[in-house]
Amino acid sequence: MSLLSKLFSKSAADSVAVFAPLSGRILPITEVPDDVFAGKMLGDGFAIEPTEGRVLAPFDCEVVQVFRTGHAIGLRGPGGLELLIHIGIDTVKMAGEGFSPKVSEGQKLKKGDLVLEFDLALVKSKAKSIITPVVITNMYAVKSLELVGSGAVRSGDPALNVSSNH
Amino acid sequence: MEKTVRILNEEGFHARPAGVFVKKASEFKATIEVRSNGISKNGKSIMALMSLGLAKDAEITIVATGADENAAVEALTALVANKFQI
Repeated sequence: MSLLSKLFSKSAADSVAVFAPLSGRILPITEVPDDVFAGKMLGDGFAIEPTEGRVLAPFDCEVVQVFRTGHAIGLRGPGGLELLIHIGIDTVKMAGEGFSPKVSEGQKLKKGDLVLEFDLALVKSKAKSIITPVVITNMYAVKSLELVGSGAVRSGDPALNVSSNH
Repeated sequence: MEKTVRILNEEGFHARPAGVFVKKASEFKATIEVRSNGISKNGKSIMALMSLGLAKDAEITIVATGADENAAVEALTALVANKFQI
């Protein structure tokens, strides 16, 4: 995309910055070792291979859902953007072991607030993969998105810029 | 048109089944709702469906309204019965 068209697309739509919710290595969503996520069946986004078991709020948001098994969190951010943070792959099978959500549904969060803690070593040993997809589940609200993070990131670093349709 | 089905897969109606369900539901023009325990959610929204937090053996009623409602309910109930395998 040329600089000029980028400027125009940004002026035409609201831009939402999604920050890294975990520290680790940032990856394109297509590199998640699971066809549902890699094939963007749940939506587009990115993934993080975490180096610590702490999830922080990636923007100012409201908690939409805390999964019963604690392995995933749904958030609603600026512009109604819905974000799913899914710790590891096939972690629903761990039935909650090792996951400690720190928030409840309906709670309002500021960027950087602690959302969830998990036992990284346990997930590494039990799950198919520790790679954590961060996915926009309401893609109809998204005009375009751009991965801005690369390589090693700290939680709170810029990860994704989203232009919404609002 | 509506039909009630039971969730059969071990993990329940979590992220992956929700994605598969919404993809199928979005193929139809009909408005689609999923009802369980008196709560009704948009059958074309992944986050809404996941927020139902449905476990294995939960019963859901799939309600479709629109021109292709019969085909939508048939396809979606078949998908649930098939443990969300496509």
